[in-house]
Amino acid sequence: MTTIAELIERDAAAPAAEVLEALTAVVDPELGVDVVNLGLVYAVTVEGSAARVSMTLTTPGCPLQATIEDQVRARVASVPGIEGASVELVWDPPWTPLAITEEGKRQLGWL
Amino acid sequence: MTHPPGASGGAHPLVPVSALLGGALALAFGAAWLLADPGALAGYLGSPRAVALTHLFTLLHVTLVYAGTLQQLPAVLLVADLAWKRLGYVALPLLVAGGALLVHGFASGFRAVPLALGGAAATAALALVAAQTVRTAVARPPRDPASRGLVAAACYLALTMALGTLLAGARGSPAVARALGYAPELHQTAGLVGAFLLGIAAAGHKLLAMFALAKGGSAWRVTAVTWLVHGSFAATLAGAASWLLGGPTGAERSAGTVATLCVCAAGALQVVEVAALLRRRLRRRLEAPVARYVLAHAFLPLAGLLLAAGLRQAAVVAALLGFVGLAVSGMLVKILSFLAWTTAFGGGAGRSGPAPLLRDLTRPWLEPAITAGLGLGALAATAAVAAQAASSPAAAAPLATLAAASLFVGAGAQLWQAATVAWRSLRAGAAPRREVVTTK
Repeated sequence: MTTIAELIERDAAAPAAEVLEALTAVVDPELGVDVVNLGLVYAVTVEGSAARVSMTLTTPGCPLQATIEDQVRARVASVPGIEGASVELVWDPPWTPLAITEEGKRQLGWL
Repeated sequence: MTHPPGASGGAHPLVPVSALLGGALALAFGAAWLLADPGALAGYLGSPRAVALTHLFTLLHVTLVYAGTLQQLPAVLLVADLAWKRLGYVALPLLVAGGALLVHGFASGFRAVPLALGGAAATAALALVAAQTVRTAVARPPRDPASRGLVAAACYLALTMALGTLLAGARGSPAVARALGYAPELHQTAGLVGAFLLGIAAAGHKLLAMFALAKGGSAWRVTAVTWLVHGSFAATLAGAASWLLGGPTGAERSAGTVATLCVCAAGALQVVEVAALLRRRLRRRLEAPVARYVLAHAFLPLAGLLLAAGLRQAAVVAALLGFVGLAVSGMLVKILSFLAWTTAFGGGAGRSGPAPLLRDLTRPWLEPAITAGLGLGALAATAAVAAQAASSPAAAAPLATLAAASLFVGAGAQLWQAATVAWRSLRAGAAPRREVVTTK
C-alpha cells in the first residue's frame, strides 16, 4: 500500500502499520473508497497501548465528520494491543484528490 | 498541521430530511394537479389555478427543499455550528402551513383571508430561517464568496416572501396599492434571481466541486454573480420606485433593461463557472443526480434566448421549471442521501457492521426517469407558454399536456427515489451491504 501516512511508534504495543491497515475498513460512503487510500490519514502514532490518528476530510464541515471519526476510533481500538484510540482532525495541509493512492484510483474506477 | 477551526454541525438530520421529502411530495402533487388540468399551463398565466400551481412549485417544493437544506448547508459552508438548531422544528411546519394556505387562497380565486394568513406565516417562517443563517454567519464570518452568497440568498428568500405578501395585499386593497404600488417583477426578481439563482450558484460552487472532485472553483466568478444579482434587484427596485413616485418617462423601462442585462450576465457567468468546474474535475463519470444538476444549466441560455425574443413568460418558465427545477432535483437526491445516511448510520445511531454506500441507498434505474421527465416537462412547458404568447393555442394545448405528463413521470420517480432513500436508510440492514476492500 502506498500512502502519504506517517507511521510513528514509541514503545508501541502494536505496529502503527497494523493500525493503518485496520483503517482501510473505514470507507467514505460518498466515494466508496477507504480513508487510507483516499489519502485522508496523515499520521498514525502508537505510544504504548495508545494510538492517535491524525487525519483530514475531503471538505471542512463535512456532515459525515462525526460518523467517520467514530468509525476510525472503533477500528483502531479493535487492533490487538491497542487500548486507547484518539482522532485528531486537521485541515492543514488541506486534502486534494492528488492524495488518492493508485489503489484508491482503482476503486474509483479511474484506472 | 493545525487543528480544525471549530466544531461544525447543523440541525438534527431528520429536520431537513422531512423538508426534502415534503418538497418531493409537493412536486408530485403539483404534477398530478397539472396533469388533471393541463389547460392551466396553456391559458392565462395570471389565472387563479396557474398562480396556485406556480406557488405550489416555488413555495412548497423549491423553497421547502431550500429551507430544509439551510438547516445543514450553512454549517458545511461556514464550518460553524448552526445557530438555534431547533428553530427548524418551528420554521419548517410554519412554512408548510403558510404555503398550503397561500396555494389554497390563490386556487380559490385570490381569497383574502387565506392569502393574508398564509403570507404572514410563510414570511415569518422564512424570516426565521434567514435570521438563523445570518446569526450563524455572524458567529463565524464567511471567508469565501460562496458562503457570503448563500447568506445573501437566504435573505432574498425571506424578502421574496415579504414582497409577495405585500403584492397580495395590494391586489386586495386599493389603499395598499396606492401606498406601495404593484410590482410583481420585484417579487419575481427577488425570488428567481436573488434567492434561487444566487442560492444555486453559491451552494453549487461548493457542492459540485465536492461531488465531482473538482478543486479550485473560481472565486471571482461567484463574487461577480453575487454583485450582478444585487445589481439586478437594485435596478428592479429603482424601476418600481420610479413608477410609484412618478419618475421621468422611460426610467422604469431603462431600469428594467439594466436588471435584465445583470441577470443575463449572472446566468452566463454561472454557466461558465459550472463548465470550468467540470473541466477541472477528477471524477470523470458524474453520478446521475449531479449530472442532472449540471444539465439544469442548459436552461439558462435558453431562458436568455427567450428573453431576447421578447418571450418573458416563457423565459421565466424555462428558468423556474428547467434551471431551478432540475438543479433542486439533483441536489435533493444527493443531499437527502447524505442526511438520511447520517441519521441511520451516524454516531450513536446504534447500527453495527459495515454501512452501505450512499449510492446503494438509491434505485439507479429511477434516475433517468427523473431527469428525462423533469427535463422534457420543463422544455414542453416552456414551449407551451411560448406558443400561447405567439397566439398559437392549437400548439399550446398538446404541449401543455405533454409537459404535464412528463412532469408527472419525473416528479413521481423523484418521490419514489426520495422515499427509497429514506426507507433504505432508516430500515436497518435493508440496503445491500458492501464488502470493504482491504489492500495488502
